[in-house]
Amino acid sequence: MLSIKNLTASINGTPVLKGIDLELKAGEIHAIMGPNGSGKSTLGKVLVGHPAYEVTGGEVLYEGRNLFELEPDARARAGIFMGFQHPIEVPGVSNAAFLRLAYNKKAEAEGRDELDPLEFDDFIHEKIKLVAMKEEFLDRSLNEGFSGGEKKRNEILQMAVLEPKLAILDELDSGLDIDALRVLGDAVNKLQRPDRALLIITHFPRILEIIEPQFVHVLSGGRILKSAGKELAIELEERGYDWVLEEAAAGSQR
Amino acid sequence: MTLAVGSNLLADLLSGPRPAEWADLREEAEARLTERDLPTSSDEDWKYTDLKALAGMSFGPAPKVTVDISGHLLPEMVGTRQVFVNGHHAPHASCASAVPAGVRYFPMSHASEACHALGSIGNGAAKGLFEDLNTARFEDGAVILVPKNLKVALPLHLLFITKAEAPIAVFPRILVLLERGAELELVEEHLGEGPYLSCPVVEVHVAEGAVLRHERVQRESAEAYHLSTLKAEVGKGGQYHSRTLSFGARLSRQQPWVHLAEGAEASLDGLALLDGAQVADTHSFLHHAEPGASSHQLHKCIVDGKARAIFNGQIMVAKGAQGTDAQQQSRNLLLSETARVDTKPQLEIYADDVKCSHGAAVGQLDPEELFYLQSRGMNADDARNLLTYGFAADVLTHIPVASLRRALRQLVMARTQATSLGDLG
Ligand SMILES: Nc1ncnc2c1ncn2[C@@H]1O[C@H](COP(=O)(O)OP(=O)(O)OP(=O)(O)O)[C@@H](O)[C@H]1O
Ligand SMILES: [Mg+2]
Repeated sequence: MLSIKNLTASINGTPVLKGIDLELKAGEIHAIMGPNGSGKSTLGKVLVGHPAYEVTGGEVLYEGRNLFELEPDARARAGIFMGFQHPIEVPGVSNAAFLRLAYNKKAEAEGRDELDPLEFDDFIHEKIKLVAMKEEFLDRSLNEGFSGGEKKRNEILQMAVLEPKLAILDELDSGLDIDALRVLGDAVNKLQRPDRALLIITHFPRILEIIEPQFVHVLSGGRILKSAGKELAIELEERGYDWVLEEAAAGSQR
Repeated sequence: MTLAVGSNLLADLLSGPRPAEWADLREEAEARLTERDLPTSSDEDWKYTDLKALAGMSFGPAPKVTVDISGHLLPEMVGTRQVFVNGHHAPHASCASAVPAGVRYFPMSHASEACHALGSIGNGAAKGLFEDLNTARFEDGAVILVPKNLKVALPLHLLFITKAEAPIAVFPRILVLLERGAELELVEEHLGEGPYLSCPVVEVHVAEGAVLRHERVQRESAEAYHLSTLKAEVGKGGQYHSRTLSFGARLSRQQPWVHLAEGAEASLDGLALLDGAQVADTHSFLHHAEPGASSHQLHKCIVDGKARAIFNGQIMVAKGAQGTDAQQQSRNLLLSETARVDTKPQLEIYADDVKCSHGAAVGQLDPEELFYLQSRGMNADDARNLLTYGFAADVLTHIPVASLRRALRQLVMARTQATSLGDLG
């Protein structure tokens, strides 16, 4: 589904990604862990086309197409979604109206019927149940004044509305209380299908006990230094990152 | 040269017969006017708001005409409306049958001169030229008196409609008196067709513990001048919340003056949506005269074409007004390279224990917000239009009258090219 080859990217002229290789197949769940500032969010944002980042080399194929030929909105309509670490607040635009617009843009792109406000009402009520969101959040302005956890819940609501093929969830767990993490983790699991893939960015193994990855990658200094099964997350929790860095340094000297 | 033209305009406006009632008030106003002239750009307060074109106009008497108001009625307020056309009260278009007993709500022309509060609100402040013009020549307007502790459930609707073929001048006048503990929601709307000058004056007195919510909608014609004065005195623990929405007029000026007693609360929000060669000017004055009062001011402008917005927000915290909380934000969105905004906060603080903040921002849409919407599948144009709409609609979110809120959102959608995005309610 997604094939990243030797991807490099920089921001304001500073290289951040220094050669990423990663393959995601349909049905798979991958986790990316790594120290602060190592480039995890950057990788996600480059994949969804954030304009602040410049792709300086390498290639990314999404369903066989060159991802970088698509504008960010076209990537979204093609099924890529990123749940942001720091979702943006948009005053004056109601959450419900925004969600309906987003849904309809995608439906239109896929040749499905758009939903009018009444139909959407029924549709969204099912979705807010899935993420256990209170109804009043639909009438509020998009993310405005939402707490950190509420914003994350709203990101997963958007994911549930858009049903992406490839979802990148950047630190979904940060800012979430224990119950919320359980609810949203379960919601993400319910949305996972054999034809969809997930990329979970996190610092903590707890979320990976709910959304269980088949692969865990360590990203550090803009490179993936190690990839293994889900047991790697536990090992990182116990031992930190230094040993991975040392191992990688030793490996590259050989 | 401007001076002479200005004098002609004032003389012209004052040439008609002086209405009989309130003779003393009118005489005083006229006396002050004989010593004054139209402001020019050398006047600091009118630096960016050029009245030259106005000065060159001459105005005939305002004819009595009938208008179809069906398109302007709002369901919550069909039975609480007073309508004025070309400055005259329109009894057949008005209907106050749903106004609760005890509330006095009638045209100024029916008020007795015993209505001595008229002209006395904000006497501590200097009278503006256009305020005096109104006092000298107002024909009619509305008086609203809400007695002690009465909380009026339905909003009241004041509709000032001007319909001019040749230039006319109208002087709407409003007096609102809320006794202790009274509560009222008031919608003041100005709209029209053709070339005219409208100089409304609104006087508000909110007594101790009373609450007035005041929506002010300016949708004057594209050829109109709208020069409005508001004076509000808010008593101990009283609240005055206003929201001024400027959509129309080739040139408009809002001059609210608000005086806060101990523990009073005020909000003074504004939105101006401008394009073409429109000019919208807000010069506000908030006076924290006593301790513990709070004020909140959010002023937003969206400026397109060659239009120009001016905001001058003066806040004065008097000596001894400890515990004052004053927040002011001026936020402006420029949609074209030729659009222009001049914004200036002016804080004068003579007390030491105060919490005052102000901020002014002039700019384009936030790229992070744009990207966020695009990352959810909206193309760049839709995202821009949605954000522009949201920037404006933000000011409308808390309008309590649902039908008004909806109507204004529609208006904003049309003006921000957001209509194609469907229902954004
Ligand atoms: N807009 C920016 N301007 C300058 N530097 C940036 C910008 N965005 C990211 N960076 C830098 O790029 C590097 C990678 O940042 P990134 O956000 O991808 O890290 P991360 O791995 O997600 O970290 P964390 O675990 O703290 O979320 C950091 O050194 C960061 O300071
Ligand atoms: Mg990050």
